[in-house]
Amino acid sequence: MKRATPLAIVTAAGFAFLYAPILSLVIYSFNDSRLVTVWGGFSTRWYGALLNDRQILDAAWISLQVGVAAATLATVIGTLAAYALTRHGRFRGRTLLGGIVTAPLVMPEVIVGLSLLLLFVALEDLAGWPAGRGFTTLVIAHATFGAAFAAVVIQARIGSLDRAIEEAAQDLGARPLRVFVDVTLPGLAPALVSAWLLAFTLSLDDVVIASFVSGPGASTLPMVIFSKVRLGVSPEVNALATLVILVVSLAIGLAAWATARRG
Amino acid sequence: MPEDAPFVRLEGLTKRFGGFTAVEAVDLEIRRGELFCLLGGSGCGKSTLLRMLAGFETPSAGRILIEGRDIGAVPPHARDTNMMFQSYALFPHMSVERNVGYGLRRAGLPRRETAARVAEMLDLVQMSHLARRRPDSLSGGQRQRVALARALARRPKLLLLDEPLGALDRKLREETQLELVKIQQGLGITFVVVTHDQEEAMILGDRLGIMREGRIVQVGTPHEIYEYPRSRFVADFIGTVNLLDGTIAEDAATHARIACPEAGIDIVVDHAVTGARGAAVAVALRPEKIAISRDPLPHDNRVAGRVADIVYNGNLSVFHVTLDTGRRLRVARANAVRAEDAPLAPGDRVHLGWSGSASVVVAP
Repeated sequence: MKRATPLAIVTAAGFAFLYAPILSLVIYSFNDSRLVTVWGGFSTRWYGALLNDRQILDAAWISLQVGVAAATLATVIGTLAAYALTRHGRFRGRTLLGGIVTAPLVMPEVIVGLSLLLLFVALEDLAGWPAGRGFTTLVIAHATFGAAFAAVVIQARIGSLDRAIEEAAQDLGARPLRVFVDVTLPGLAPALVSAWLLAFTLSLDDVVIASFVSGPGASTLPMVIFSKVRLGVSPEVNALATLVILVVSLAIGLAAWATARRG
Repeated sequence: MPEDAPFVRLEGLTKRFGGFTAVEAVDLEIRRGELFCLLGGSGCGKSTLLRMLAGFETPSAGRILIEGRDIGAVPPHARDTNMMFQSYALFPHMSVERNVGYGLRRAGLPRRETAARVAEMLDLVQMSHLARRRPDSLSGGQRQRVALARALARRPKLLLLDEPLGALDRKLREETQLELVKIQQGLGITFVVVTHDQEEAMILGDRLGIMREGRIVQVGTPHEIYEYPRSRFVADFIGTVNLLDGTIAEDAATHARIACPEAGIDIVVDHAVTGARGAAVAVALRPEKIAISRDPLPHDNRVAGRVADIVYNGNLSVFHVTLDTGRRLRVARANAVRAEDAPLAPGDRVHLGWSGSASVVVAP
């Protein structure tokens, strides 16, 4: 019934452009050959090799911890910022806060990374905290730009919530905090889930900022991949990348589902 | 407290938003157990007034007294008032019964009592069979009932209703109006209803307050407001009316004459008017109080003209009559018989007449 129209061809070309590299990476992760570009038959040996690679497993574990901690922190900060921006009228410094919250969205990562590094060094000299660069500084750095994304996502949701619902709760005897917990939070839930997953994905993905603010012993997964690739692409990295794609796709899918559930 | 003592009393209540005055120096008394309607066009301040009663807006000046107690500083969650919102504002993530029980749980009512009260309220609004549904699976009329039950559950002293029937279609609205009155009378709770629909206000209200530009221009029973409007605005706002401009020609104790060039006669009214001779006034004359006939009429006031247009409304017909002076009057007549022998037709010459008690003289 349906024929290949020009539109369909363009669409197909678009998808190929976007996903062909990823697809080839996934296919080559099952390559038996040690040479990345030569097909040597199907095998899962690189997945096995991955499981015995301490360096990669450690990095993956650190990335996961940093991601969870940073995403949680980012969601909390983002919610508070979004609430202040949408629900507290025109207070003093509102424009400034709006600017600051969204700044990390447009700031080049190199600059964010460098400025955070300088801040952490200065803070350590002055206050003695955070001591050295590592896990803590990574979490703080990732929460910083994650909060920006979270605030944007949550702000849109608060804007679409019916103010009268919160007033109704108040009218029925709920104090402000109670209103927030009983009515506002459930209304925000889909946005909170999306925001958390977005911040988590961004944290998992980041290599530039992490390179600045991380220290010895706290290499994240992208950092390890990056350094491995510089020494030559190993099929093991393909396998690892495939797993990362799987995790990220799941997270994005979950976020989309959460958003669509209560549109 | 005696029956007639004011239950709610507003004294010089004012609300300003920046340079805009939404509610201006409103003095009003609402009696215990009555259904009071605040009626006005959009932007007249009626909703702001209601929101001040609920506590969502802080008055810029003036006081709100309920049973003599100033509640100006009491936050919404601590007031003995409840509100039914125009959008209903049901909690989307809670079932119908959890919605209705929310206020009771906040009040710390024991679980058993909460359940009993919820059941009673749902029964009152005939929604018991849908107790476990979520609001998004209900129709507009059903949501309206849930919103009413939720607002009534805490047994407030004062229930505030913001356009309670605004979102319903016409047929359902008429049924619901009567039901609302029945529930209000049954419970004896004082209701304050905000509406822009004058017909609805007439049906619902024990008394009405007509608002215009932040002020209350007249308070009275539907009958008083309709038959004795005090201003041109009120006369025109409630129902349809013919407004004839004129000047006072004679003012005696028992009657007055208003010289009215528009109608080509001196209109006789059987009450005294306030104002000096020659002062400009307007005569408000309801269409249904004018008699229409092909033959001359015996009334105090008589004019003649030609039928320009006839609007058939089923129960009544409205005749647009162009007087010899060129002025148009609307005349309504009940269609008492199904088919007249010689019905009036556009172009027919007709006589109009009305008695001295039919019209009201208002400020121009």
